[in-house]
Amino acid sequence: MKCPSRVLMRIMKYGTSLLVFILLVGIPLSTEAQSSRPTLEGMWSDPPATAVGDFCHGWCTDAGLDYLERLLDDPANDARGFRELQAEAAKHQQETYIVPRLTAAALETYPLDPADDPSFLRCEPYGLARQMRVRHQLEIRQRGNDLIEFHYGEWDARRTIYLNGRERPSNQTTLLGHSVAHWDGETLVVETAGIQANRLPFNAEHSDQLRVVERYARSKDDDTLVLTATMEDPWGLREPVVIKRIWRWAPESRIDPYEDCELPTEFTRGVTP
Amino acid sequence: MRLLRSWFLVLPVLMLSAVEASSHHAFSPVYDETQLITVAGMVTQFRFVNPHAMMLMEITDESGQIVKWTVEFAGVLNLSEVGWTADSIKAGELVTVTGNPTHTGSQRMFFRRLARPDGTELLPAGPQRLKAIEEERRQRALRRNQEN
Repeated sequence: MKCPSRVLMRIMKYGTSLLVFILLVGIPLSTEAQSSRPTLEGMWSDPPATAVGDFCHGWCTDAGLDYLERLLDDPANDARGFRELQAEAAKHQQETYIVPRLTAAALETYPLDPADDPSFLRCEPYGLARQMRVRHQLEIRQRGNDLIEFHYGEWDARRTIYLNGRERPSNQTTLLGHSVAHWDGETLVVETAGIQANRLPFNAEHSDQLRVVERYARSKDDDTLVLTATMEDPWGLREPVVIKRIWRWAPESRIDPYEDCELPTEFTRGVTP
Repeated sequence: MRLLRSWFLVLPVLMLSAVEASSHHAFSPVYDETQLITVAGMVTQFRFVNPHAMMLMEITDESGQIVKWTVEFAGVLNLSEVGWTADSIKAGELVTVTGNPTHTGSQRMFFRRLARPDGTELLPAGPQRLKAIEEERRQRALRRNQEN
């Protein structure tokens, strides 16, 4: 939890958007938080159409958020479009936060060519590192006392998360890995291992040694869900990488079939976004 | 119907918004986000599916030949957020479509805007979100100016 005086200074300095994000991230982490809805169950979808929400639509980092706030607060940038500022902040977080944390082994193939992405080439669903932060819906349902199911709009993917500490079958790896969870106050903490080597959200590879700790907490008014995910991989990451993702409470949303993925008929290598 | 095929440079704002349009798989290997093209013709099929909606069109080129075009959209997940349904575009409609061309110049584009002869338009979710965000920025600048 951040020091209250430091938080106040940052709020005064950076303005409303930072205040909103701190509220989103900070308040739910308190075990004293009270709410009318005791679980995270229900349908969540794209974040609010705000600068911070949009920046964290896919994934973001504190480094990127801080940089974006500085850009937004600089009057010299008022005439620049948001997409331009967003792209500059994304580049900054990639270059100053992500790349320095990649190992020499991961840097050998970084940045990965999007044209080699198996999800693009062969319509293969994402591995956990990308699936956990996909756009659009995330439906959370508790099944009995021991299971939670995550159902994502993207790829129509489903994850089973064990609340009873069920051990991972030895040496077995899967796309989404083996997840166990516990409650830390009103925050759901999901720990996942046994993930097949695949791609990270930021155009780098990870090994099957990847371990991910996801913390899901909702805002005090129940309208927003924030994921803070810590990824560790001794093969690909020099130190843990922490990313965030925001969803909006969306009970009206529904997940439609996801069965028309077409293999590409043409593409060009070497074109990075 | 005459082929309307106009290539022009894209404003930076639009260029930078292209990446967000395609979430399930890579956009950049197929489409050139730095350019836009516009074609006009008749819709022969619209499939409102995931991961990407698809539209087939017939365009008559300068030589009078019918050319088939494919227009790729964001998916149901994205389009339904701004009210699209499977009936938003119907076969037989005459439409003018603007989008990002492929790197190879094939008869395919990634959707940005559709205009009908009656002046109505269809847009993806991005422009609506961006409008709200820019308004948030204006309010933020206003508060900042009042404080200073």
